[in-house]
Amino acid sequence: MLRRSVLGLLAAGSVGPAWAQGDDWAKVVDAAKKEGKLVIYTASIGSVFHKAVIKSFEQKYGIAVELLEARASEVRERVRVEQSAGRFLGDVHHNGSTTTWLMNRDGNFQPYGSVPNTKNIIAPFSASNVVIPAEVISYCLMVNRNLVKPADEPKSWKDILDPKWSGKILSDDYRALGGGAVFFVVMYDTFGKEFHEQLAAQKPVFSRDLANSERRVARGEFPLYLPFSLQNYNNLKGLPIKPIVPAEGRPYVRFDLTMLKNAPHPNAARVFMNHYLEPESQLVFANAGYAPVVGGVVEKTLEEIRGLLATKAMGTTTPERQDAMLELAKQIYK
Amino acid sequence: MGSATLQGRSERATIAALRAGRASLGDLWRYGRPAGMTALILLLCFLSLYPMVMLLYGSLHSTPPGIPGTFNLDGYLGIATTENVVVLANTIGLSFVKTILALALAVLLAWIVARTDTPGRGVLEVLITLPFFIPPILTATAWAMLGNAQVGTINLAWRWLSGSDTTLVDVYSYGGVVWHMMQYSTPFIFLFVVDAFRAMDPALEESSRMSGATRWQTFWRVTFALMLPVTTSAFILSFIRGVESFESAVFFGTPVGIEVITTTIYHSITQRAQPDYQSATALSFAALALMFLLLVMQNRLLRGRSFTTVTGKGYSPNITRLGRLRWVTFGVCILFFVLTVALPIGQLLLSSFFKFFGFYQADMLTFDHYRSVWENSSFWRAFRNTMLLGVAGATATMALGGIVAYVTTRTRWRGRRLIDILAWLPWMMPGMVLGIGFLWGFAILPHQIPIYGTLWALLLAYVALGTPVAVRVTSAAYQQIATDIEECSRVHGAGWWQTLGRILIALAWPAFAVGWVLIFFGIMRELSASILLYAPGTEVLSVVMLKMWVGGKPEEVSVVGLVMLVLVLLFRWVQLKVIKKRISTL
Repeated sequence: MLRRSVLGLLAAGSVGPAWAQGDDWAKVVDAAKKEGKLVIYTASIGSVFHKAVIKSFEQKYGIAVELLEARASEVRERVRVEQSAGRFLGDVHHNGSTTTWLMNRDGNFQPYGSVPNTKNIIAPFSASNVVIPAEVISYCLMVNRNLVKPADEPKSWKDILDPKWSGKILSDDYRALGGGAVFFVVMYDTFGKEFHEQLAAQKPVFSRDLANSERRVARGEFPLYLPFSLQNYNNLKGLPIKPIVPAEGRPYVRFDLTMLKNAPHPNAARVFMNHYLEPESQLVFANAGYAPVVGGVVEKTLEEIRGLLATKAMGTTTPERQDAMLELAKQIYK
Repeated sequence: MGSATLQGRSERATIAALRAGRASLGDLWRYGRPAGMTALILLLCFLSLYPMVMLLYGSLHSTPPGIPGTFNLDGYLGIATTENVVVLANTIGLSFVKTILALALAVLLAWIVARTDTPGRGVLEVLITLPFFIPPILTATAWAMLGNAQVGTINLAWRWLSGSDTTLVDVYSYGGVVWHMMQYSTPFIFLFVVDAFRAMDPALEESSRMSGATRWQTFWRVTFALMLPVTTSAFILSFIRGVESFESAVFFGTPVGIEVITTTIYHSITQRAQPDYQSATALSFAALALMFLLLVMQNRLLRGRSFTTVTGKGYSPNITRLGRLRWVTFGVCILFFVLTVALPIGQLLLSSFFKFFGFYQADMLTFDHYRSVWENSSFWRAFRNTMLLGVAGATATMALGGIVAYVTTRTRWRGRRLIDILAWLPWMMPGMVLGIGFLWGFAILPHQIPIYGTLWALLLAYVALGTPVAVRVTSAAYQQIATDIEECSRVHGAGWWQTLGRILIALAWPAFAVGWVLIFFGIMRELSASILLYAPGTEVLSVVMLKMWVGGKPEEVSVVGLVMLVLVLLFRWVQLKVIKKRISTL
């Protein structure tokens, strides 16, 4: 009897909070609908996948979304200026993890409360009470299929140090914030400084016009491009290019969601964050080439992308040593 | 007698009333002028000095506005490096070379179009100006495909024709940067000088020829000398724009290690974990000081000289008969058009019908890019906003520029020099830095003033950015108009406003029209301030184009670019039709 009661209490205890949470969440959704509007500040410019998720959110909840897209540093400066002037206009902030870390340090965000779907986030990612992982950009190599025979394709990151690639590598700049800097840090951590010294001797050509760089390789100006953002693969389908994830894996960088300080529509912000972590939303990103942050999604991804996403995540950059690494890159790649 | 007395009283009363009326008008003039000047100075202070003060604070403070920090000179001390000396030398060298080349070419083209019997001059004038209106990102993409050393169309054609494996052109070089900048500078300077050529009284040239001077001597000593205010203004505007140019250097210079001031600033702001606003603003102020010296030099060059070419006498523009040479001048114009418009635009037009830029396969033919732009609601919203801002901004800017130019060139009113400097300031600060000044300045305004986050923020920024052009265009035109026409008008009883409208603006209005078009399309292209000041709902075309570009849709960007070109053609056609009609009535 006692045993049954204890078990019953335990059961009630385990179910109780879930019921309460569900009940609370329904209230959050109601409040969000009453707010009726959501303002998102994002550094993901022109992403059709991002817009697709926003559209599904609008349709599902009837909450109108206003989107402000700008480059990472511009979003950060706008938020900083607005908040210091007492203008609290944005609700959700969506940016790379480095910028998010810096802004969190500067106090631009507030705890979001609770978002049920954060429980589905898988390792190595985790949510804090302020920052929620959103999606992951993976970097690999890209070759021009007409210029690089399958036998000559690099299998390892170290293969790009072969003298045959000298002067034939087009690359994002390692000395500036972005994919190039992420690649620099991860290769440095994996292979050491010598890797970069040898790569510098290969005289890679730097360009920050990423979208155009990929097409320059497709047109045959260069046979090899790095680091190639996997999510751009969809845009290039039909061109003679091939993404290659080397044996060691792929460097990555995470995008995060946060709630801006004094957000005018906090409930709508929470509902949107929850929607973003729904498997259906994450599948939109995964099919586009982003690695999802919740479980059970990679398995449902389109076959051609699944193989690339199933590879090992090599590592990423950390905000604390970003400047030191950029400085080191400047010294090596003069 | 009684009636005569009454009549006399009535007349005296009328005269007294008239005198009183004159007195009140005089009072209005006396007090209205300082009030007007004060209002003008305050307006210019808000538009140009206010954002500059915000930036100056940023250059002298360890942190941007709103963050606790200390005042220091670290930003200025930090720019004194060997690396920056190279950057400065690159910047000045590139801008100087491209401005000299563009000026020479633009003056030649303007002379051909305005003062010779070259066939098809009306059409040529429109064609020559087209490159200015094409977004630089598009021509850069087109030239990257045409002139890259490896598989550029020009080099492939050269290798096929010559049988050699050498490279004819490589746009990723100093020459490539200069060439790309020239494509904008040449039509810009051309637009500045062509109407000045057209508005010049040919009697001056005829006198020179009658005195035995050759055609070349006449051109150099009379025509070109009289064009000095216009050409030096155009030179300085173009040189400064060259110093502030970003796209050409970042596309064709950075990949081969050519850095200029703007790419260095861009790195400081956007490419570091912690944006270094202090260093970026300090570098901008150093560049500003340099450019200010140029302005002082221009003033010294032009001081005390008369450049009057439009007098009260009637005249019709003189046309030089070139004989067979006219086909050579026609060829020069066509060559310029082919190189700067037909090649890159042809590439863009062709690419807009294929799935991917530069891949011309039959199975990739598509109208999808046009359909996609047509169905893009953001594009249409941005189009409406841009048209509204373009028309309102260009009109307001020309009105302000016309008044500023009048005060600085036609009066000796106290404060006119201050006005001149205030109107110049925005031109001397790189757009991406000035954009931050506007952002800081507008955000901290009291919330009751509805500027931040509205179309007003963009409009005010555009007016500030366009005012230097408006002032230069109109003041150069004013300087060519003899003061006796104005005095004649005043002597015959016309008021100040009447004289301004019926004499000065009427005579200088072709310049107004050119200025309006320059500013309108400047607004259409402006990105640096727009990206920082737009809010959801107030997007403009340049922002939408950036989104398309970064989103990997250069084909859609080229569709928008082509739409803009059609607009340009329409505007220029209407403008030239009206000018032609107007000139014939002069």
